[in-house]
Amino acid sequence: MIKNKKLLSLIIALCMIFILPACELDIEGEKKTDKKTSSVTTVTSSVPKVTSEGPSVDSDGNIVYTINSVPEFTSEPFVAINNNVPYFTDADYMTKAYESYGDLDSLGRCTVTLACVCKETMPTEKRGNISQVKPTGWQTAKYDFVDGQYLYNRCHLIGYQLTAENANKQNLITGTRYLNVDGMLPFENMVADYVKETNNHVMYRVTPIFDGDNLVARGVLMEGYSVEDNGEGVCFNVYAYNNQPGVVIDYATGKSRLAGSTETSSEVREYVVNTNNKKIHLPDCDSVSSMKDSNKKTVTGTLEEFIAQGYIPCGNCLKGA
Amino acid sequence: MTIAVCIDDKNGMMFNKRRQSRDSELIRDFVELCGDGKILISSFSEKLFADFQDRVTVDDSFLDGAEEDDICFVENADVTPFAERINKIILYRWNRHYPSDFKFTFDLSGYTLTESKDFEGSSHENITREVYVK
Repeated sequence: MIKNKKLLSLIIALCMIFILPACELDIEGEKKTDKKTSSVTTVTSSVPKVTSEGPSVDSDGNIVYTINSVPEFTSEPFVAINNNVPYFTDADYMTKAYESYGDLDSLGRCTVTLACVCKETMPTEKRGNISQVKPTGWQTAKYDFVDGQYLYNRCHLIGYQLTAENANKQNLITGTRYLNVDGMLPFENMVADYVKETNNHVMYRVTPIFDGDNLVARGVLMEGYSVEDNGEGVCFNVYAYNNQPGVVIDYATGKSRLAGSTETSSEVREYVVNTNNKKIHLPDCDSVSSMKDSNKKTVTGTLEEFIAQGYIPCGNCLKGA
Repeated sequence: MTIAVCIDDKNGMMFNKRRQSRDSELIRDFVELCGDGKILISSFSEKLFADFQDRVTVDDSFLDGAEEDDICFVENADVTPFAERINKIILYRWNRHYPSDFKFTFDLSGYTLTESKDFEGSSHENITREVYVK
């Protein structure tokens, strides 16, 4: 577990180091209208550079930040990073509409997206068709227990409700339904409703994190900060996992398999389920002893069938199941 | 006492020490619903009631001091310890999913839903107001 945490931290650090040089952003404050030609020429912003070491200053004078550790995915769709304080600096903040979508990298993968979200950037019409875009690692896979059945969505880095981007390939990744709906959408909703209510601006950056040459991102770093009230309304920095409970994903290719397809998960045995949060555990799991009696229920059957009923395997006792 | 709480689809109230959402029409609806009743809020909620300063009493220990007929607008406090004194709950549902790390965990099983009303907010398509009575 600890080893895996360190590995993921290092992966993220390395990914960011490789990604960011291609994603330095022009922040002149003009909304780019031609996304295909939004290649970057001006470097005026300190886009966060994440390393495995502590905060420091690089040779260009930019502050280099740290993600100390990203816990391995267990049962929560996202985890706070840097105590929920985003990596923006004073130079990043602006109070006019702005959008930038980083160029695809050499493998065709999305890089950094940044926006100053305000009413002006928000959609005035319903979202259009985006099915012509095939993000890296795209596969069509269906599982009965996944909401909508399809494992993958064309997942907007900056959600449509914030900047009205339709089929922009620099803003769409292969993301699980879980990432899209449970990981990212809540933050998009929060930002969108805050802007609608206050007419303020929110700096919003989403960075996909790839492991090596993998075609599917392991997760996304999401940062948000409300400008006019200095973060009093919106302030977050989270890593959302590109996982899907009950499914094992090969992030190199996007291929997947049912977690319950192993011999162990087809075995009929006793489990304990939490009827409140829909988690399933082995009877001797530590989580069982701390579970409220009113939420605890002992069941017998195969893990496969309980996953199909909507239960999520515990990330500790049923890790890898 | 009566308490009023705003929650999302996952019973969330707050994330990162910030309210999940806000809506001026919801506040107006709440003040109107309270009629002449005494409204108690904490300093955290003061900005929400900027247009109704003469209608609210700001007190950070408002739940401790609330009388039977008082109405407490609660954003960042756990009301469970006051369960025995709560005879009415006004629940505003955003009908949205926001991130949350502080939730409304109050057990409503001893209360009866007596009213449910949907209305359009100033920035929310559909807010539901529910009233539960002990």
